[in-house]
Amino acid sequence: MSEQYQSMWKELGLNLAAHDMLLEALGKGYQDIYLSQKERPEGMGYFDFVLSEVHGLRIKELMDEKAAGRKVIGSFCVFVPEEIVRAADATLVGLCTGADFATEEVEKILPRNTCSLIKSAFGFKLGKVCPYLESSDMVVGENTCDGKKKSYETLKDLVPNLYVMDLPQMKSDEGRALIQAEYFRFKEAVEELTGVTIDAEKLKKGIAIVNNKRKAIHRLSLLRKADPAPISGLDALLANQVFFYDDPVRYTDSVNKICDELESRIEKEEGPFPKGTPRILMSGCPMAVPNWKLPWIIESSGGVIVGEESCVGERGTRNLVTDGGDTVDDLMEAIVDRYFKVDCAIFTPNPDRLAHVEEMFREYNADGVIHYGLQFCQPYIAESMPVEKSLEDKGIPTLRIETDYGMEDAGQLKTRVEAFMEVLKP
Amino acid sequence: MRHAGIDIGSRTIELVVVNDGDILSTRQTDTGFDPMAQAGELLNGMDFDRIMATGYGRNLFEIAFDAPTVTEIKAYGMGVSALIPGARTILDIGGQDSKAIALNDMGAVKKFEMNDRCAAGTGKFLEIMAKTLGFELAEFGSEALKAQDDLHINSMCTVFAESEVTSLVAKGEDRRAIALGLHQSVVRRAVGMIKRVSSEGPIVFAGGVAKNPCMRRLLEEALKQEVLIPEDPQMVGALGAALLSSRMKT
Amino acid sequence: MKVEKPIPVMNKLQLISDENLGDIERAKGEGRKVIGFYCLYSPTEIAVAADAIPVSLCGTKNDPIETAEETLPRNLCPLIKSSFGFAVLETCPYFVFSDCIIGDTTCDGKKKMFELLNRYKTTHVLQLPQNQDDAGALPFWREELERFKKLMEAETGVTIDHHRLRKAISLQNRERAARKALMDVNREKPAPITGSQMLEVLSKVAFLADKEKSIALMEEMVCEAKEHAFRPRDSKSNSRKRILLTGVPVGIGSDKVVRIVEEAGADVVAFENCSGYKKTFQVDEDADPLDALASQYLQTPCSVMSPNGGRFDLLEEMVRGFGVEGVIDLTWQACHTYNVEAFQVNEFMEEEFGFPTLHLETDYAQSDTEQLRVRIEAYLEML
Repeated sequence: MSEQYQSMWKELGLNLAAHDMLLEALGKGYQDIYLSQKERPEGMGYFDFVLSEVHGLRIKELMDEKAAGRKVIGSFCVFVPEEIVRAADATLVGLCTGADFATEEVEKILPRNTCSLIKSAFGFKLGKVCPYLESSDMVVGENTCDGKKKSYETLKDLVPNLYVMDLPQMKSDEGRALIQAEYFRFKEAVEELTGVTIDAEKLKKGIAIVNNKRKAIHRLSLLRKADPAPISGLDALLANQVFFYDDPVRYTDSVNKICDELESRIEKEEGPFPKGTPRILMSGCPMAVPNWKLPWIIESSGGVIVGEESCVGERGTRNLVTDGGDTVDDLMEAIVDRYFKVDCAIFTPNPDRLAHVEEMFREYNADGVIHYGLQFCQPYIAESMPVEKSLEDKGIPTLRIETDYGMEDAGQLKTRVEAFMEVLKP
Repeated sequence: MRHAGIDIGSRTIELVVVNDGDILSTRQTDTGFDPMAQAGELLNGMDFDRIMATGYGRNLFEIAFDAPTVTEIKAYGMGVSALIPGARTILDIGGQDSKAIALNDMGAVKKFEMNDRCAAGTGKFLEIMAKTLGFELAEFGSEALKAQDDLHINSMCTVFAESEVTSLVAKGEDRRAIALGLHQSVVRRAVGMIKRVSSEGPIVFAGGVAKNPCMRRLLEEALKQEVLIPEDPQMVGALGAALLSSRMKT
Repeated sequence: MKVEKPIPVMNKLQLISDENLGDIERAKGEGRKVIGFYCLYSPTEIAVAADAIPVSLCGTKNDPIETAEETLPRNLCPLIKSSFGFAVLETCPYFVFSDCIIGDTTCDGKKKMFELLNRYKTTHVLQLPQNQDDAGALPFWREELERFKKLMEAETGVTIDHHRLRKAISLQNRERAARKALMDVNREKPAPITGSQMLEVLSKVAFLADKEKSIALMEEMVCEAKEHAFRPRDSKSNSRKRILLTGVPVGIGSDKVVRIVEEAGADVVAFENCSGYKKTFQVDEDADPLDALASQYLQTPCSVMSPNGGRFDLLEEMVRGFGVEGVIDLTWQACHTYNVEAFQVNEFMEEEFGFPTLHLETDYAQSDTEQLRVRIEAYLEML
């Protein structure tokens, strides 16, 4: 399939040989981890297709949009408000950060002990293998954690159209005022890029599109309450990952179709794993495509994942923008309110996250929590110990995992996860 | 019915056969480069009805011999509870891993911690350090106990510790004092792990490194309580697997 | 081994340091409050204006780290772990004396550590902007300082007016001027004060509660240094390479790099860090005091700021002013902000001065001393 896109990739400036290698590895990983699963919902066929065309057809679509005068904006974080981008008739895409690439080159400009996610973003840029990044008219970085904040200073030399958004670190009135000012500044930047003036009507439409997308993934999440779970955690994670790439309207329809199918599965008590399989809530750092390592280990060690408290998951998608009135200012307020609730560990203190983990644990009838910390990610790793302690004080079994994108520790992780399953279902 | 348990570790393989809770026989061999061939040889001529595998090679064994498996964490929990009823905390230091396990009053695993991917604080670490200092592994602990001085070693990473040890040797420091310092660094790491799961007694120390007398002494000092060691600390995992096999419903 | 001659003014420093805890205890007995500070960004003037005593807190020794690691991840910088360990073990008398602690949202590690520290002692965290741009960041920081002022008023019962703030600014300005004058002594060649002497003085002075004592002492030291009281005039000192240490703060217990540089026959003549030259600014005494504090403190060129242009300006001025021949950029392990910025610092030095930096990433432990020595010696040979 890749031949038809070669010229497009070449035009984007990708390193074709390296890119072929990447696609081959991605395809093989997908085959081993996804297509080998049993009892998958038929609707997942759509996501199989999306993944198989993630650097192909989807990029072609973006190029067509660009040819028609629309803009593409790339982002690394859920704090970048898609509503504003949509209101300017532009498309927001998540950028590649889920696999090690060109690590040696990366470590010439970034410290070795930087988290895999940041290194991956640099690796895809240096290796010239991320068509999303190369097709973006504007790339948005954000001052979240130390690692990202400082890395953007270096990335700016590699990505001239990098725009950095500042973010608060505390949920005070001042903090809210800061994010509000930054969202207005972002709106102006998007208007300037696209030449579109964002009025109330356009903003309302943007809000509606993104809200619908969130509603669809919420619907899918809630169906996972059932025992047996009607869908594997891997497949649900994929749906959450594709959230960042796909056309939002088409995505919404596809997720809703899967949900219809899952509802009938639930009636028939069908699922990929038998009833009574230990149910795991994942909590912690985000997992971008193709970072499927830990979910794969969990679901091949006798567990099923029933929820993700993560930015690629419920932390990122929960809460809708409320119907905020009829003026641009009112609608912007509503957007700010929605995003200011995101309970990322960069905030101090961050009690909402712990409350949300407990809420999800109950909501999805989980048996235990696995906390996933990406090595060197200080905000989440620093929270992992207090979170573990609080959960265990409430009788919720918790396993803390710290790892990266490498596969060397897979065997060791499997032992830990299996032992955790034995604790849950002795 | 005779139940066997096999513990395929990174350094050694142990086999235990039980009947109705009584240990009928035990065997041990090196893991070598072909663990399944070694395991097959160990099983040769042994008489049992069912077998369960544990240890890092359990999944290989599952494929090769079509046997059920259990993690070494649960196996150690079971084995220790059988040998020392009422034990609440286990430290297991093996060739490549170290683990701290908290048991509830029923002897079931409540919580555990495991070393991260590096060899710091494991049997492998002690083995490499013994070699660097020119000691036999078997005498490493007893020689360390003869040290007059206590020498602080900071590094827990095998690579860094090796260069730290080399520079101490070059400075003319006493080998035994360095050895004691190295043991202490492993104990510090282990105690940190134990404290994160529980430090409720009785505490049992198992796994190959439990045979090292210096480790036990330092652990007792650091934890300020007696540390119990099963008679054959390396057999605990295999025994646990054998006992779990006998409890398994058919 | 040559016998070190006692230096009278260093003995005096020791005496004053020994009296310091007594001074604080007495002041507390008189009802004054003690406020512990972890970072250069929070203006101590606001505590002084409330008649409270600002104190620095311990965090430069290796011993408490083991205890800290029972609660904190291992992958945090030694400064954070040491600070937390000192607090938990109650081995830092300044922490014990403190009525409350002031922290800032500087780096991820510190801000998350403060959440846990708050369980041991009330810790007020000020939200520091992540950049220094005037339009948004300054009013933001000004608001935080207003909140800080109210916190101090509530803590002490003293109403902080302009007059009190101005007086505090003037006092702290004098102290910073004295620190600057002391460090500037080493602009001379050869440097009259060794790097480890300077480090010892700066570390100990930072803990002194009685600012008048510390100002007088530092002023005396400047005179003594010019009379070559710190190190004998030596024909060989002129050939010692002049090194600037930049990056993370250093103190007693975390001084191994300075020691190794000296053992290798070079001098650390300047410290571009927050235990050194970053603490020498002057706050405008004529402007509205809170405005002046907000604007001056926000300019502190720490790597938590993005971008952090001020650090490069300061480096440039210091490398020229101190006749620096080599720059060692020190990063404590797991300090992301200085670690990432090291790349830019090296690029800057190569472009502006034609020599690279030596970037070292280490912790408080002594385990890598020999490796560091090799790298430092090789760097010195290269210059």
